[in-house]
Amino acid sequence: MIGAASLMLALTSAAGAQAIFNPKDWPEGKLGPGAKAWSVERDKLPPFTPPRTQDGQPDLQGRWGGTWSGDDIELIPEFLDVTTPPWESWVADPADGKLPYKDWALAERNAHREGLGREVWSTDPSKHLYYDPQAFCMKSVPRYSQRGYELVQTKDTVIMMLNWGHIYRVIPLDNRPRPAGDVRLWMGTARGHFEGDTLVIETTNLNGKMWLDSAGNFIGPNAKVTERIRLVAPNFLDYSATIDDPETFTRPFTLRAPQRRQRAADAKDPYAAESWEHACHEGNREHEQQILQLGFKWYLPPAAPAK
Amino acid sequence: MMTTPASRHRGTEAQRNFLYLCVSASLCLVIVLPAAAHAQAPANMPPYTPPKLANGQPDIQGIWQVLDTAAWDLQDHGATLGVPAGRGVVVGNEIPYKPEALAKKKENAAQRATLDPESKCYLSGVPRITFMPFPFQIVQQNDKVNVLYEYNHTIRQIYMNGNPHPEGHIDWWMGDSRGHWEGNTLVVDSVDFGEETWFDRAGNYHSDELHVVERYTPISPYHMRYDVTIEDPKVFTRPWSLSAILYRRIDANVELLEYECYAYQLEDQFTKK
Repeated sequence: MIGAASLMLALTSAAGAQAIFNPKDWPEGKLGPGAKAWSVERDKLPPFTPPRTQDGQPDLQGRWGGTWSGDDIELIPEFLDVTTPPWESWVADPADGKLPYKDWALAERNAHREGLGREVWSTDPSKHLYYDPQAFCMKSVPRYSQRGYELVQTKDTVIMMLNWGHIYRVIPLDNRPRPAGDVRLWMGTARGHFEGDTLVIETTNLNGKMWLDSAGNFIGPNAKVTERIRLVAPNFLDYSATIDDPETFTRPFTLRAPQRRQRAADAKDPYAAESWEHACHEGNREHEQQILQLGFKWYLPPAAPAK
Repeated sequence: MMTTPASRHRGTEAQRNFLYLCVSASLCLVIVLPAAAHAQAPANMPPYTPPKLANGQPDIQGIWQVLDTAAWDLQDHGATLGVPAGRGVVVGNEIPYKPEALAKKKENAAQRATLDPESKCYLSGVPRITFMPFPFQIVQQNDKVNVLYEYNHTIRQIYMNGNPHPEGHIDWWMGDSRGHWEGNTLVVDSVDFGEETWFDRAGNYHSDELHVVERYTPISPYHMRYDVTIEDPKVFTRPWSLSAILYRRIDANVELLEYECYAYQLEDQFTKK
């Protein structure tokens, strides 16, 4: 499980970035900075117009460090372990930082959480329901964005390449027709466009098999995810994902996080700006079989109750 | 020098592979440029110059895919259930195994169901990933060429930033790839492979001393020639070559989708229990 500690590492290694929103400098005893703290810091930034690519698009290219937590995205109220210190919610809207689940879905989320067997790190298979699906080296939208990625723009596509698990997205900007609705993909199908300086990406055709975090928060397979990405300072992206999933939630909600530019190559280590192979599944087979032996089931999205 | 039937028809093209250095009218040196031999187009293809990107590099971006049967067997092969017959992509059709290595190749083929790394959904290695029957997309940057493969969401990042291969040996599934342009040909030099990948479903394999040089040469707006040289002194008696054609996918609305091999396999395993 990768939590806040590794994300702090990712952030603090971003030498040369503007000295804002650095969790390392966050006051002792305060919750780690999440959506609310980022919104406050972002609003203090002077107005910024991003440079343009040769095709006239806002230039968002570069290697971006992931930020938002891999653990509970709502709130980590207390110290769980070294990877999960107390942390503010990454939910920017609603303002209380809680996901606006329908009753059935909240019960489902709570069952996911209980079934992790985390309270006592149970080895008793009867206590186990699902393991975090990310443990199988998969990702989805928007959870991919908690990891760092390289963003590349061409005239008609935006490409995102994660080092983690060699996950990538190719996002057409020409609003081409999507595959039929019953085509279900881990990463969905994405269509992008620019609204002023903001890259807007709409994703559907998801399969609902990935959680939002490792604490059982989830969205349904019919969710539409609208991401907005804007360069708000030379080295910071403001990232948000609005999830529209009326089967699961009482209203749309929005996750928000900064993404910090990773350092460029330096003379000491000319390889620092390269992305080297992260073969995930290949070294994970023993772990996968342990999860199976511990009685965890394969997570399939729960059916929303009939209206 | 490769001798393929195609090259015999390309006399005028072949002449471009010679550099004439004339010191005086009576003293000319003719230098053969061996690298240019790879740039020959198949018969009936007129010479082609690809468009250039703003940075001056030949533009080979787009979605590509092979149409051969090398995923099943790099060499000439007949059909069996589920396996289409096909002409191979090995130049001369012979893979020069050392005797003990040939025995291992045959054992691999016999026990393919359990031994083939593809059966465990592992990353395919190089050049096997090119021959998988799935599309892949090339995205160029100033200092690297990215190749995104639909199969197992594989990424290859071919660095052209002046860095040599890092100090090794490193066991990587897809190796360490460094590229450069020779005219309109993208030349990719890859080392740092592990021993666990194969070349195809017929059990052809390599060791960790594998050294692969790939040449991607556009020969029309819709075709690239894909020439590969394989070296591995642990397994082969000499270097050998592959030559194939990559086809541009121009289908309406074509885009990379997904083939998440290990996710399907794990779901199958977990839900059958």
